Amino acid sequence: MENIWTIENLWNAIGTVLRNWLAGFLPAWLVTLIMDLLVIVVLLAIGIVAVLVLSFMERKVAARAGDRYGPNRWGPYGLLQPFADAIKMLIKEDIIPHVADRFSFNLAPVIVTVGAVMTYAVLPFGRDMVAANLNIGILYFAAVGSLSIIGLLTAGWGSRNKYALISAFRAVAQLITYEVPVGLCIICVVMLAGSLSTQDIVLAQQERGWFFLLMPGIFILYFLAASAEMIRCPFDLLEADSEIIAGHFIEYSGMKFALFFLAEYIHLFAGSAMMVTLFFGGWLGPWLPSWLWFLIKTFVVIFVFMWIRNTFPRIRIDQVLKIGWKVMVPAGLVGLAITGFVDKLIADKLIAGVVLFICNIGLIIGVSYLMGRAQRRKEMAAEGAALR
Amino acid sequence: MYGTGLLKGLSVTLRHMIGTFVTDIRKFPRRYFTDGNHPTRSPEPYLHGTFSIQYPEEKVPMWPRFRGPLVHLRDPETGQPRCTACGMCERACPHGCIKVEGEGKGKERKPTRYEYNVGRCIFCRQCVESCPFNAIELSRFYELACYDKDTIWDLPRLLELGDKEVITEQGQFWGET
Amino acid sequence: MSVQIPPTERLRTDTIEINMGPHHPSTHGVFRMVLTLDGETVVDLEPRFGYLHRGIEKTAEERTYVQNVPFTDRLDYICGITNNWAYALALEKLAGIEVPERAEYIRVILGELTRVMNHMLAIGFLWNDLGATTFTPVVYAFRERERILDLIEMAAGSRMMPSYIRAGGVVADLPEEFMPRLQKLVPHLKRFIDEMDTMLTKNEIFRARAVGVGVLKAKDAINAGITGPVLRASGVKYDIRKADSYSIYDRFDFEVPVHTAGDVYARYLQRLAEARQSLRIIEQAMRDIPEGPVTSLPYKQLSRLKPPKGEAYGRIESPKGELGFYLVSDGSNKPYRFRIRSTSLLNLTLLREMCLGHKVADVVTILGSIDITLGDVDR
Ligand code: SF4
Ligand code: SF4
Repeated sequence: MENIWTIENLWNAIGTVLRNWLAGFLPAWLVTLIMDLLVIVVLLAIGIVAVLVLSFMERKVAARAGDRYGPNRWGPYGLLQPFADAIKMLIKEDIIPHVADRFSFNLAPVIVTVGAVMTYAVLPFGRDMVAANLNIGILYFAAVGSLSIIGLLTAGWGSRNKYALISAFRAVAQLITYEVPVGLCIICVVMLAGSLSTQDIVLAQQERGWFFLLMPGIFILYFLAASAEMIRCPFDLLEADSEIIAGHFIEYSGMKFALFFLAEYIHLFAGSAMMVTLFFGGWLGPWLPSWLWFLIKTFVVIFVFMWIRNTFPRIRIDQVLKIGWKVMVPAGLVGLAITGFVDKLIADKLIAGVVLFICNIGLIIGVSYLMGRAQRRKEMAAEGAALR
Repeated sequence: MYGTGLLKGLSVTLRHMIGTFVTDIRKFPRRYFTDGNHPTRSPEPYLHGTFSIQYPEEKVPMWPRFRGPLVHLRDPETGQPRCTACGMCERACPHGCIKVEGEGKGKERKPTRYEYNVGRCIFCRQCVESCPFNAIELSRFYELACYDKDTIWDLPRLLELGDKEVITEQGQFWGET
Repeated sequence: MSVQIPPTERLRTDTIEINMGPHHPSTHGVFRMVLTLDGETVVDLEPRFGYLHRGIEKTAEERTYVQNVPFTDRLDYICGITNNWAYALALEKLAGIEVPERAEYIRVILGELTRVMNHMLAIGFLWNDLGATTFTPVVYAFRERERILDLIEMAAGSRMMPSYIRAGGVVADLPEEFMPRLQKLVPHLKRFIDEMDTMLTKNEIFRARAVGVGVLKAKDAINAGITGPVLRASGVKYDIRKADSYSIYDRFDFEVPVHTAGDVYARYLQRLAEARQSLRIIEQAMRDIPEGPVTSLPYKQLSRLKPPKGEAYGRIESPKGELGFYLVSDGSNKPYRFRIRSTSLLNLTLLREMCLGHKVADVVTILGSIDITLGDVDR
């Protein structure tokens, strides 16, 4: 038996040893069952740990952007702050408004969280480290990821609050809109990779170079659409606290609120991880073990999301929909056509990559020019409007 | 090009983020490094770098003119309060937070009761300005939060607080005589 | 060509009515708007205020003239200095009081610092209302405000409630450290305004949100008595510092910026430009400030002040617009009538007209761009 105990292979090695040990005294089906349950538990744990880390990171980034320190009281450098937050959330009173629709009110956080956690199943955390190497992994991710809309709608409806209801409207409108460009971008990637499996997509990038370099235009499109999907700024209209206070979770408190919070950050982590998988070569990288590379890249992407959140205001709902349908979907379709043609017509991978890159830059410039022109026209019309 | 404005905004926040870490590194081993100085008081106003004061550990010294609660001053020779219960402050206060009662005539007049309701006071300093006997001044205490409603301070307490202050003369820091 | 849908086949929709406020995070205080929404579009809006009513006008009739100074701080608590100034101006007119030269310069310096501070804060909060969720521009604005407030505290003893300007001059001369600090602060504030400019002005999201939103026509603005940056952003060049020059503003070289779009974006640009002009004025005042006495009426005389029978109206260009105090004297030491022409209340009057037809999200933006202080609205 060759040495399985490398850092690269650490987690798989633990799994194998455990499996062998269990197989010694248990029937095979039970071993499979236990191992699968164990994987689920580990994924949940990753989810919760990621949330703790991310909530801390979010606060620190927000503080640092505003020339502050952020939490620094509880533990060294405030590192224990997330635990304090979690405990606070858990021991808070659980309030159910007495006019609320109790069934949907209670169900909503569960749907949202389950929908979020399920996306972890197909994330390739490292070489051979994916809970379920589905051959339709990406499709699964997109499908399960949008499950939480139902939860948001239920929450908005169930809490019988007008602000929550507005948020639920927005949730449905926005998430349906942005499913389309996300789907289009994913199709582009899938076309280049030739597979729907997340592992294969990563491996394809080993061969062709990171897709982010090949298709910058598609990447930007995906980035924006994904941030709308993840309800991150500047598309965080559902929880716009300056307009509709907190949107769908306005009536939630305690544990249920914590679940929404959990789901939000799990989505953030999963979305960033998927972006790394699709465009930044997943766990590829020299020297360091693959899972570490994956985490590093994911956290860099998450940092960019937080950075954006700390800089930009929010877009208005009608503008969100307008950008979605009038800009992103057409741009996505053009991108799809470009990718399809280039991939089919040019056999040489290197030349195809270069052509794809040039076409994408053209796409960026074109879209940017058209949007700039529309904006300039609008501004020209606004000039002197008060005197007319 | 559409989008450059967004990138510019991002660059500003990034510079701020880096700036805070630069401050951290520069003062590395210490955790509290404003040295009791409010960042607003730094000799060179800076654009980048942390701006927090970590309150209970770091406290900002108040400016000499800071208007905190009222204190009474002592006569440096006798150690007695200078107040003669003339009642000018009581009349001058827009909020009626002062109640004075006294006995005796002329120079011998002394306050028997002096009540100052710090809960109502708005620290406007009109009582001080009206006092003809140089007997009161506003102090620089600012931690006034308390758990009870014990907001009426009497003369001994006001004198005691006055002893803790460096103020010896009314209008010492106000360019008055 | 649009297709006409017969009314019977149209989707039957209902409007919903929501209460925005009085404890909504972005109503800038305890302010309440009853919104009628059709989907997300505002079809009706009814502002309701008075939650912060403290009866200052009536209370002031029971107090002597000097006792009323601290009350004026509490009107528009963002810019206490200018409130004091307007009251002092009215009283000076009423009683015919002269103000020493140096006091006028001190007033101008502090007043313009207040303007910078108010405008920076207004921009910061506008961004907060636009949804900069983590307050970054607000925090930057607050940081600079803290520096300005620190100077005010050094001079007046209190950050937000200075009570520093009184009839006849100012309470006390500036402390020694004041001028060196101000000399360093002014270039810094310039740098800061430039930074805000780079960070915010060209931002595409901001422009998409702000351009063409909440347009206020010049005609309507004049009819409703709207003043200040909001009026000037609608293309009316009306600044009391120029139109009815008070104090020593005729000595300074500054411009009154105007923008003609009348929307949220124009108001933002207006504030930025005005803050720059204020710094220009401060620089000139710093250069020219003479030595000398700072008050012609010490406290002991002022507290016994009995203005002759009559009335006076003193007005200044406060950061938010025209702030006026109307005093009627019956010859006693208390004002017979103490009337405040508050800026925020009048600027708020056209809120409904500005908001109709826009989205919910725009309501908070428009409210933010008017820049009200509820202490000033309700008094
Ligand atoms: S500071 Fe003002 S409110 Fe306080 S006691 Fe003196 S006069 Fe009254
Ligand atoms: S005015 Fe001065 S002397 Fe007179 S009662 Fe008040 S504190 Fe005492």
